This record gives sequence, C-alpha cells and structure tokens, in this order.
Amino acid sequence: MTDKTLAERSAPSLLECEINGEKVSLAVPPTRRLLDLLRDDLQLTGTKRSCDIGRCGACMVLIDGKPFNSCLTMAYQCSGKSVTTIEGLAEEERLHPVQQCFLEEGGYQCGYCTPGMIVSVKALLDANPQPTMEEIEEALSGNLCRCTGYGGILRSVARAIETGGAASNE
Amino acid sequence: MLLNRETSGTRWRVRPDGPPKVTGRLAYLTDMSVPGMLHGMVLRSPYPHARIVSIRTEKALAMKGVHAVLTCEDVPGLNRFGIAHPDHPVFCEDRVRFVGDAVAAVAAETAELAAEALKRIEVEYEPLPVVDDPEFALRDDAPRLHEHGNVLHRNDYAFGDVEEAFRACAHIVEETYSTPRQMHVYMETEGGLFVPEADGRLTVYSPTQHGLMDRMQLARILNRPEADIRVVSSPIGGSFGGKDELNVQPYGSLLALATGRPVKLHNSRFESVRAGLKRHPMRITMRTGTDASGKLLAHRVRVVSDAGPYSTLSAEVLNFAVEHVLGPYRYEAAEVKSVSVFTNNGMSGEFRGFGGNQAIFALEGQMDRLAEKLGMDPWAFRRINLRKPDDPGPLGQPIAPTDGARQVWEALPASRLWREKERAAAEAAPAEPWLKIGYGAAFVMHGAGLGVGIPDPAGGRLTLTPDGKIEAAFGYEEFGQGLIASLEQMLIEQFGFGSADLRIVIGDTDAVPDSGSSTASRSTSMMWQSLRRLRAPFSSRLLGAAAEALRLPADRLRLGEGGIRDAASGELLLAYGRLAELAPEPIVCETSFSYPTSPVERVGSHYLYSYSSVAVKVEVNTLTGRVRLLDQFHAVAAGPVVNPQGYLGQIEGGSGMALGFTLMEDAVMKEGVYLTRNLDTYLIPTIAELRGRFEVLPIEGLPEGDEHGPRGIGEIGSVGLAPAIAQAVYDAVGVRTAKLPIDPEALQAVPDFESEEVEPA
Repeated sequence: MTDKTLAERSAPSLLECEINGEKVSLAVPPTRRLLDLLRDDLQLTGTKRSCDIGRCGACMVLIDGKPFNSCLTMAYQCSGKSVTTIEGLAEEERLHPVQQCFLEEGGYQCGYCTPGMIVSVKALLDANPQPTMEEIEEALSGNLCRCTGYGGILRSVARAIETGGAASNE
Repeated sequence: MLLNRETSGTRWRVRPDGPPKVTGRLAYLTDMSVPGMLHGMVLRSPYPHARIVSIRTEKALAMKGVHAVLTCEDVPGLNRFGIAHPDHPVFCEDRVRFVGDAVAAVAAETAELAAEALKRIEVEYEPLPVVDDPEFALRDDAPRLHEHGNVLHRNDYAFGDVEEAFRACAHIVEETYSTPRQMHVYMETEGGLFVPEADGRLTVYSPTQHGLMDRMQLARILNRPEADIRVVSSPIGGSFGGKDELNVQPYGSLLALATGRPVKLHNSRFESVRAGLKRHPMRITMRTGTDASGKLLAHRVRVVSDAGPYSTLSAEVLNFAVEHVLGPYRYEAAEVKSVSVFTNNGMSGEFRGFGGNQAIFALEGQMDRLAEKLGMDPWAFRRINLRKPDDPGPLGQPIAPTDGARQVWEALPASRLWREKERAAAEAAPAEPWLKIGYGAAFVMHGAGLGVGIPDPAGGRLTLTPDGKIEAAFGYEEFGQGLIASLEQMLIEQFGFGSADLRIVIGDTDAVPDSGSSTASRSTSMMWQSLRRLRAPFSSRLLGAAAEALRLPADRLRLGEGGIRDAASGELLLAYGRLAELAPEPIVCETSFSYPTSPVERVGSHYLYSYSSVAVKVEVNTLTGRVRLLDQFHAVAAGPVVNPQGYLGQIEGGSGMALGFTLMEDAVMKEGVYLTRNLDTYLIPTIAELRGRFEVLPIEGLPEGDEHGPRGIGEIGSVGLAPAIAQAVYDAVGVRTAKLPIDPEALQAVPDFESEEVEPA
C-alpha cells in the first residue's frame, strides 16, 4: 500500500513569498496546495474550499495580480511571487471599491462564493477597467454562485465599472 | 412597480452580514479550527446494494495518529436518523442500500492520515441485485429493500366521477413528464467542528436549517439529554433544503465523544455528491380534458417518485406534489394516485420547491398542450379555469383568501416582455436563420408552511439586555436568504429602533426559543407574525419603564433610534442602556404560536399560498440545440415586501436554479452509482447563462382584514421557469418537451446543405 503520508513528511522546503503585502518565509512540503497553506496553516479562511478541481472559483486568489484557483496551485509555485487573498483587499477598515459595490448592490447571499468572485472582479477591472459584457462573461464564468442567479453580481460589476474603481465609501 | 434598488429607495439596505462576507472575515462553521483537533472521515459503501459480511477495523486502529475507528457497535443510542421517520442508519449493520451509506468513521491527527485509515478498514461485502428504477421496484419480483417492501408512501386523492368527466370531454391531452435528479450544489459542502466541553456537554458547530431538530436527533443517537448538546448552526454557505436533514453531525459527534477531542469534518465535493440529498426524480403522467369551450372537466394524474434508500422527507414531498399537480385550476372531477418508492439510487429529499417544481412543470405543460388543441391563447385558456379568491384550495380545503391568482394573471400580459412579444410577431426574423426566438409563460400557486398534520411551531423573543441592546432571538438560520437583514429591517420599520440598537441572535440552541424550521418559505412570515404579536407588549413594557424613570406619562414617549424619545419633538430622552439600568426588572417578551393551517384532516394541506406568473423569451440555436434565456418577467403576489434586496435576490436566485433544472442539471446515475462526481460533469448555470434581462413585479396588496401578512417567497422563484421555457422552446422550434433537462439533440435541425436551402423561420 502506498503511504502518501511519507510524501507529506518528505523534506519541506523553504517558501519565500509575499502574502497580502507581507514577506513570509515558510517551511512547506512540496505536496502542499496553496489552498491548504492559506486556510489551514495561515488561518486565512476567506479563501474557500468547494470543488477542489478548479471548477468553482471559490478559492480564487491573485498571484502577481492574476487570478488563480488556489486548489490547483501548489504552494511552492508561489516562490518569489506576491499572493493576494480576499483578506488583502481592504485597507484597514476601508473596503476595496469592488467590495463596496458588492455590499451596496447586494452582490452576494450566502457569501461563500463571494471572496473568490470579488477577487476575480478585481483582477478583471485591474487589467481592463471598461470590460464589455463578453469580457465580463469570460472573466467570471469560472466563479460559480448558487444563490444569486448572478443578478446582484452583474449589478455590482456594472457599478464598479461605472465608478471607475473608485466607489465612494461615503 | 418593478422591484430594484432605485424603486426601493431607502428600504434598500446594506445587509448586516454583508461587511464580513465581502471581506472574507466571516468564519463559516467549516472554517473553524481549534488547536489539538482531530480530523474525521466517513467510510461509505462502494456498492449501491450489498450485504455486509464482516467489518475489521484493527489495522486502521493500529495506525499511529489514528484515535478512533467507529462502527455501528459504537452508537450508544438509536442507530438511525431521519426528520420524519428515522430509518437511515448512522452506521449500517448488515446491509448497505446506496453508495452514500456509512459503514465506519475515523478520527486522526491529520486529514491525510484519516483518509489512509479509511483504506485500512476491511469490509467484506456480498453484492446484491440493484434496484435502480422505481417502476421496477414496484414489481412483485423486485428485491425488497426494506422489511415492509419498496413502497415508502402512497397518497391518493379524488373527487367527482373522473371517468364520466372524460367521456364528456371534447379535447384530451395525455403526456408523461420526467424530471432530473437535481443537486443543491450549495457552495459550502457539509461539515463542521465538534467539541466535547470540559463540563461534559457537546458543542456541535455544523450548518443545518433547524438547530433544535438536529439537537433532538443527536440526543436520540448519542443517548444523552438534549440539554447536554449545544448546536450552533449558522452562518451557512448555502442549503436550499439540502442541509435540513442530518449529514455529518452524527459522525462528528460520535468521534468527538469517543476521543474526548475536538473533531473537524468537511466533506469533499464527491463525498457531498454521493451522500447528500437530491431533488426527487419524478415521472408524472397526466391525462387532462376540456369541453369544447375550454372548460377543464377531467384531470387524472399518476406520480412516481424515486425516494432512494431511506425516508427523510420523501413522503412529505410526495404530499406536496399531490396538492400541486392540481394547482390553481378548477376541474369537474380529478383523480391523483401517487407513490414514493425506495430504490438503491441516491438519497432524495428536501429541495427548494419541495415537489412543486416537478408537479407544476407537468401541470403547466398540460395547460399549454390543451390550449393548442383548443386553438386558444394559452394564457387566456388558463383564465377560464383559474380559481377565484374564495375558492377552496387544491385539495378542497379552506385557504386564506387572496386575489393573488387574478393579480399575477393580469400582470403578465401587461409586462414589457409580453408587450414586446406582441410586437415581435410583426417583426422580421433574426439575421441568422438557425437562431429562433420563442416566448412562453407559466402560472404558479405554491403553498408555504409544513401543512396540516405536522407540528409547525413559530415564535421568538425580544429582550432589553443589561447592556442596553434590543435583542431579538429566533430559532432560525441564515443560509444566505437574508433572514438577519429581514429581521433587522422589520425591527427598524415596525418599532423605530436603529440598527446600532439591535442584537440579533439566531442559530444557537442555547440562546434561541423554538421558532420551528427555516424551511417551506416560512421564516420571514413567521418573524413578521411574531413581531406583530410582540409589538404591543414589548413597546408598552419599554415605554412603561421609561415613563417611570423619566416621571413622564407614557403617551408622551415613543421608541426611537438610540433610546426613548419625546413623541412630539423626537428628542432623545433616555438611552436604551440607561433604561436597562433603571428598569426595576428585566424586560423580556416572548411569543409562541403555530403556523396557520386549514381546519381539515388531510395531512399536508396548506393554508397560505403565494402566486406567480413567469414570462420568458428564449433563443434556440438549431445548429447546436442550445437554448439561451434572453429575458424573464416574474410577477409575484405574496403580500408586502419585507426586504426589497432579499425579495429580488430570492426570485433571481430561485430562477437561476430553475434554469439549471430546465437546461443542464442532472446527477446521472447508472445502476445505483453516480457518474457525475463533481462540478466538472455536473454543470450549473454560470454568469454566461444568466446575463439576460430580468424583471420582478411584486404585488403587495392583501385583502382587507388579512392577518397573515407577508407570504413566503423563498421557493416560488424556483418553480415557474421550467414550464415557461418549455413553452418558449415550442414557440421557437415547434418541439414539445416533457423531459428535463431539455435534450439539445431534440432541438437540432441540421440544414440540408446539398440543396443549399436553409429553412428560414
């Protein structure tokens, strides 16, 4: 019988990267997924686990500003890179404009897909502040939401585009 | 007036649970962890039907880091669960009846170790013949899955002489409709944290739709008093009915008590698929006839529902379907025969719509087919046979009168979408000849509450706490629907409190009264009714205490934001914190009552109904057979809108789920084994499928003197879309659909390239 726990125990290597703006240096086994590193080792549970196969987007994070499913990313692949999770978007108590738009438009219900969804929207608007409907569809079709029917999400995105990424906090 | 942010004005509020949700700070129960906790996993049957010859756990137990391996011998109490009828084994003893059946569970120091330990549990099975078709299960020569056979429940209903009525018919339509094994696909799979406390109690942090019901079931399994168990059950990452029944709670609880250590479980998606509930696949045969003028005379229905291996709420879902295959229409005579059947397929159970989705897809299909036979407009045909405000309910029972049926019927032709349809008829066809446009509509009358014969308690408690908060405690759960937001909004609008004055307590059996379950579109209406009952006593207690403290007559005071205010000037006179200090005794008001029911015997009959009409515009691509939903309109008559954002979200979200039911979703099984294991093969609608237009028209008026207030809207948005789309597809390409999800192949019309003629619309 293969004992996979052996692999888990095999020589952790040193992962040096940036997570939410802070430099970290962690001993991580080569089998560790980024998702598990974030949730279980760092207690950054805003990144959600749902399908584990990169189909739902609940675990979406930014790596050097681009969206990745953290369930399909090995932790060691982030070496020298900058990882941003949902916890890294707001500055102190000031929400990121995309978060503010989701809040005001009601772009969430149970909230479980919301961190991944907001991360994907931020990645889209950072790269393309005025996306077309087709580009929105392309950017967000890897993020499943079972509650809203996407109506509130589309309104949140529309508002974020409208306000040019500068939705007021007033 | 259409419902949206603009038309809602200041009633469109930011949800109190919004900030922690958009920042990722909200800890779901499956996000929890504590130092020293163990990881639990469940060993489930690889066979849909087999005899268990032996179970050997020694090798797993011998592994370093494995702290417990439990089987049926380790259950101190009842080795069964099930909300209505406990026949689902916690651990199977001698036989497994589906691929989700649990045989053993382990707790180990890491999840990897737990998975490894599962592999070292040796179970010897002797496979048995698989019963994977309910019609086969009903035959005398089918293997019997339970001692009492394969029939879980029958429910027949008839009135009038249906044979005679059919003889008088000028037009008769007969069709068999079938619906898929739809999966809830809550984004958060089942799980939680189970903590044995120092004082001997057990705390269960695990999502459910009714914490007190879980506590009762767990007490039965663990053989310990309910008071020794605390169930914390919110927040929840989606449920839709799927987490109402127990799922991992028995295993987490048993493992925590066996090891004396906190245990965490969190299902993988495949574990969730194989063990979790699905919507009942139903086959519904309907024969329906009218006279020459279009008046419905006769309606005969047979429903066969695939329950899977154990009961849960399958009997109750069948009862709901029986009521809803009759629906809002009047017949001279009708006869319904229905049966819910045990099979070795996956577990079926509670799912938003509760049997109404299947029933109404079939019933509305009949209406469209009959209208065509009569050469009538399908919407006009419905009107001829529609119930009147004071007519009895579908089962002949008295129901709370409303004019909802007429209201939503009239709203549909007046909608922008339907008026556009009239114009479109005169316009040119789309540029690409393989794209066909179609319009369809459907009518829904949907019951709420658990119905006659099932305990359906409601109630809540308001307290001025020592620290000066107005605490509202209800035994309901927040699974995304916006229950906390709705409660906050009602407290602000009905009492005058400010949001900062409030503390809302839900989802914790140690802290809440018995309010019944958060199911059956009942929570918001029961909170509304509770507050209505509490308003006078709680207000007068607060004002009375304030009057004494301020030495002012109570009628010069009113409740307001921040505290007691001068009724005339609005000036703040006494903050709630100060009032709490000065009040001679704690101010607490509680109410307890039952969901209103019809005064009849027939189990499951409903008393309060919501009504909806749904219009859609679709585009069918005849090259691919794919259907795109371009535009939808939903009129909903369910009384006042409590929370505009929540209301809109429920209709939009319910409809999104219904789109999946109509066009793409089916948890495919072959010989009792799931072929769809995860979200790569089980596809749900994405933003690409749901970017069309969407309008919701709430009809808020209720008859004068109505005491019941807002009706439920949690389910009704998920019901009418399927028949409306089926009719729109027929309108577009002339293909009738009786089986969901709609098969694209049936809609493909490959052009005849040789003659180079592509048939235009």
